[in-house]
Amino acid sequence: MALKEFRLPDIGEGIAEGEIVSWKVKPGQKVAEEDELVEVMTDKATVTITSPFDGTVKELKYKEGDIVPVESVIATFEVGADAGGAPAAPAPAGEAKPAPARAPAVEAGTPAPEASGEGAGEGDADGSDANGAAVRAAPAARKTVEVPRPSSVPGAGHAVAEPGKVLAAPATRRRAREMGIDLHAVEGTGPRGRVTNEDLERHTAAAPQGVAAPAREPVAAPARPAATPAKAPPRPPVSIPAGEREERRPFRGLRRKIAEAMTRSKHTAAHFTYVEDIDVTELVKLRKEAKALYADEGVNVTYLPFIMKAVVAAMRRYPELNSSLDEANNEWVIKHHYNFGIATDTENGLVVPVVKDVDRKSIVELAREVQELAEATRAGKVSVDQLQGGTFTITNAGNIGGLFATPVINFPEVAILGVHKIKQTPVVRDGQIVIGDVMYLSISIDHRLVDGAVGARWMNVVKDCLENPKKLLLGTL
Amino acid sequence: MTLIEAVTDGLRTEMRNDDRVCVFGEDVGKRGGVFLATAGLQEEFGPERCFDTPLSECGIVGTAIGMAVYGLRPVAEIQFLDFIYPAFDQIVSEAAKFRYRSGGEYTCPLVIRAPYGGGIRGGHYHSQSSEAYFCHTPGLKVVIPSTPADTKGLLIASIRDEDPVMFLEPKRIYRSVKGEVPEGEHYVPLGKGRIVREGTDVTVVAYGAMVGVCEKAADAAREKGRSVEIIDPRTLVPLDEQLILDSVRKTGRCVVVYEAPKTCGFGAEIAAIVAEKACEYLEGPVVRVAGFDTPFPYTLENLYMPDVRRVLAGIERTFVW
Amino acid sequence: MKSARKNSKKSSARAAKAGRSPRRAPSPAPRGKASAAPRKLPGPEANGTGAAIAGPETAYSILRPDGSVLPGRDPGLPAEKLLALYRTMVLVREFDRRMLVLQRQGRIGFYGPIKGQEAATVGSVAAVEPRDWIFPALREGAAAMMRGLPLAQVIAQLVGNSLDRCKGRQMPCHYTFKEGRYVSMSSVIGTQISHATGAAMAARIRDDDVVVLGYMGDGATSSNDFHAGMNFAAVFKAPVIMFCQNNHWAISVPVHQQHAAETIAQKGKAYGMPCERVDGNDVLAVYQVTKAAADRARAGGGPTFIEAVTYRRLGHSSSDDPDRYRDPKEAELWEQRDPIERMKRYLVARKLWRERDDVALAEEIGEEVNEAIRVAEAAAPVPPSSLIEDVFAEVPPGLREHFAQEFPDGPPSPAHPHSH
Repeated sequence: MALKEFRLPDIGEGIAEGEIVSWKVKPGQKVAEEDELVEVMTDKATVTITSPFDGTVKELKYKEGDIVPVESVIATFEVGADAGGAPAAPAPAGEAKPAPARAPAVEAGTPAPEASGEGAGEGDADGSDANGAAVRAAPAARKTVEVPRPSSVPGAGHAVAEPGKVLAAPATRRRAREMGIDLHAVEGTGPRGRVTNEDLERHTAAAPQGVAAPAREPVAAPARPAATPAKAPPRPPVSIPAGEREERRPFRGLRRKIAEAMTRSKHTAAHFTYVEDIDVTELVKLRKEAKALYADEGVNVTYLPFIMKAVVAAMRRYPELNSSLDEANNEWVIKHHYNFGIATDTENGLVVPVVKDVDRKSIVELAREVQELAEATRAGKVSVDQLQGGTFTITNAGNIGGLFATPVINFPEVAILGVHKIKQTPVVRDGQIVIGDVMYLSISIDHRLVDGAVGARWMNVVKDCLENPKKLLLGTL
Repeated sequence: MTLIEAVTDGLRTEMRNDDRVCVFGEDVGKRGGVFLATAGLQEEFGPERCFDTPLSECGIVGTAIGMAVYGLRPVAEIQFLDFIYPAFDQIVSEAAKFRYRSGGEYTCPLVIRAPYGGGIRGGHYHSQSSEAYFCHTPGLKVVIPSTPADTKGLLIASIRDEDPVMFLEPKRIYRSVKGEVPEGEHYVPLGKGRIVREGTDVTVVAYGAMVGVCEKAADAAREKGRSVEIIDPRTLVPLDEQLILDSVRKTGRCVVVYEAPKTCGFGAEIAAIVAEKACEYLEGPVVRVAGFDTPFPYTLENLYMPDVRRVLAGIERTFVW
Repeated sequence: MKSARKNSKKSSARAAKAGRSPRRAPSPAPRGKASAAPRKLPGPEANGTGAAIAGPETAYSILRPDGSVLPGRDPGLPAEKLLALYRTMVLVREFDRRMLVLQRQGRIGFYGPIKGQEAATVGSVAAVEPRDWIFPALREGAAAMMRGLPLAQVIAQLVGNSLDRCKGRQMPCHYTFKEGRYVSMSSVIGTQISHATGAAMAARIRDDDVVVLGYMGDGATSSNDFHAGMNFAAVFKAPVIMFCQNNHWAISVPVHQQHAAETIAQKGKAYGMPCERVDGNDVLAVYQVTKAAADRARAGGGPTFIEAVTYRRLGHSSSDDPDRYRDPKEAELWEQRDPIERMKRYLVARKLWRERDDVALAEEIGEEVNEAIRVAEAAAPVPPSSLIEDVFAEVPPGLREHFAQEFPDGPPSPAHPHSH
């Protein structure tokens, strides 16, 4: 048995997407080649697509009414070895780049535009470790041919020319290069201070041979400031060749997808953010014990699984936050499953792998899965499947710093939780000022669907769970 | 022999040489063409091989394509290049594409002859220089002679070529330019330019009727102490890039002269090639001396056409800028 | 404008009145007098459109839609030939169906279906000699198959790989087959008409015993190349058969919006050439009319213009959805005039075929097509170097230099055209 993917073909000379009008098959159904599979509507036509395989439908990846980009896998099939001369799939599985239905979780496999350095800090595997910022090499690809060197001779002859620019005919430039003359050092007598061939000759005649500096002396990068010791290595300053006032990086791939997703979210959802401080003194203790207990198994128990569990508890009370809006059908889709996207910082930008069925997994299982997902994501080895199906997103800036952030919703979900740094802070407990571990949580919610009061009550549940973490373990919630 | 007589001579020579060659167009049979390019051919070769067609440029070129695909060597005359546009589709979508689109199975070896250019008081519809349209179409060769000898030799080479050729004849010098033309077999290969005159200070690239104008300008420039080298590429496609680049690398200066409207004219392509491949040899800007970006005027054609004064001024602009 | 509108209204009313009995027995029109048919029986295409255009019933036919022969018209073709015509039409129908399926599965990029027009192509190609030239339009791919282009190469053209004679340079259905004298076509409508004339003129100049068969659709009769090609053909008495498949639709424009003449065939008259209006869904009639035209051309009688009245039962192409602009009932009506069914009934009546023979034939053809698909899809992609070849007889140095400059490490490996 082999798994075959069926991609939505370009059925009409350059269409970009099609709407699934109706499925003619169900998962588990046996199909023969040319059996009707799906009816698809495009800009140009509504057509019925038939199966290229003899086999069994494994999965339908889209629902009726979904708009699907061309080349997306819309269904998978189990194709039996006995099917004999079944033709090959139009595109072999795994060859094409994953193209999930929605950003920002895409193009994990895109190669980095610049070589990543060795210092990529291996953080807490806490889902969103921003310290993983790669040490970026100086933009070596940028050629530094003929970088104008600051003139050692004050530019008396350059009065008319733009500062730093030497005017000369291309042939004069070549001649100067061949003679080893820096054009900046030559007084130009031509129109607008242009250096002429005669000026070159005059210059060589006037200057003793040794004085003419070689024109192509390498430009030294400015010395790096002494590194300040810090807990986490900061991104070292990028060394910029002298004379370059800006650098241009390509705006494409993942960065572009993120941009599109963020813009859509901000332009569509009516964001409001609610912030709460949580006294996690007990949680810190509990986590410390858990971490020690499971260290031998190679599991790094972080705070995130506890927070995920607390969120599930809150979602069960206020499922409105675990939902999305189906604008096409004017329906608000409340999810009764708990798939949480974990915003993960990678070299190329933010990617959101999804932990599925959070409610059915233990804290340790979650810890292990988050850890593995984060590693796979950073290595660019995360599968399309692992990037899809989220119902809610958690983003963690906790190990970088700051007070709190107002996260942007991972549209079309309706809410996103921001997790922040745990700080030791004076807290009032039983009328006493004591030192406690305090963390801010912020929740951004789409106000079109969820009102502030619901968000606040939701947060109260999360707060209760995290301040009394035993409740999470005892399952009293 | 005049340039127009050289056309006739070339056609006659090749029709004698190859019985697949047939010549047709409007008024080319009995009358021998409005410029008499085909005079006497019907008498010699009969109405099967030299004949008049109905008045339809797309029909002339369309049927010529059918003949070429079938295996003949048709030479179609378009009375004035200005009238070629009804056949434009046939030329660019069909003739130029046959070899490529059929994976090399079918070819279209035909020649389309057309008088072109200003200077005969022909107004808008008898004076245009639209060579650039055809140069922009992959699959077409574009040939423009400037002397009687080249006319004959290039025409014979065009007829023998395995691909479609636009053979554009500078009608302004049909009769004004005379020269020795070799008798009988005479072949000038496509893609080889000609150094019209050697010089050391500036390269002037010109074709068709502009070559003569540039020669006079070069005489005048000599009096000012400028030594002008004139290059006639003879075929725009394929272009003898090397000849032009060698010359510019030697002189360090380049003027391109063409009578078509300046923007996107073929001279602009030559200027781009020089900028791309001989940049570091340039002592000054590459200058275009060209027609204006206007429809071709009737009474003001002398202002429109590049003349000796304008070519001289263009040469000066490469020195003083 | 006013009078035209009035006319069309009148005929619309007439069509509506008479339109009840579209299946009434056809009244045979006298051959060669297409324009003289005064009695207008509304064809199915007049259904609600108010067309003043003659329907298929007035076209010359041999077989009635039920397969029976009109008295005295049986051309008496040998059984072998009759069966070959039938088998080819069945093959073309199945091929067409399969290619549309492949297109919907993303295995080929585009397809222009033939369904319903099999008889027009098969009958006309069968009527000329293998040495005669063919200048096709979009829906005459069957002609290439009949001339011997292997089915796998036909499909490879649709795929666009190294087995494709066009080397993947043309959209699907733009076949080329020089050995079969089937000429490469462009997508520009009508340009091939004057090519056909030119080739026929060349044949005449060379005194070759060659006739040219030039195809076009009804839409092409509006093009300037139609005018030029027809006029030159007539003026030079070129041995060419101008064969118009009037399938009633130029993408979404119905034939009565394409022109205002009563028939397409009558246009031939204006150019001074004989014209025929034949039932394009009657393979025997198409064969006979084309054969007569070819004989006339060979004998020095010059060109003939044939209008084959047929119907495009599917969309213009795989990118087109005809339900958006025409009444599906129209195609249903034409199903009753199906060319293959009609021929089968004739063969069965003549005891040359049995209904059950279709099963074996379908199986045989199915396997033939399957094998061809397998071979075609297994071919390698077109090599990158092909990009710059065949522009001219030799690759110009400048083009080679440009290619090398853009791909200093060699061109990227080619991708299958349909896996992006």
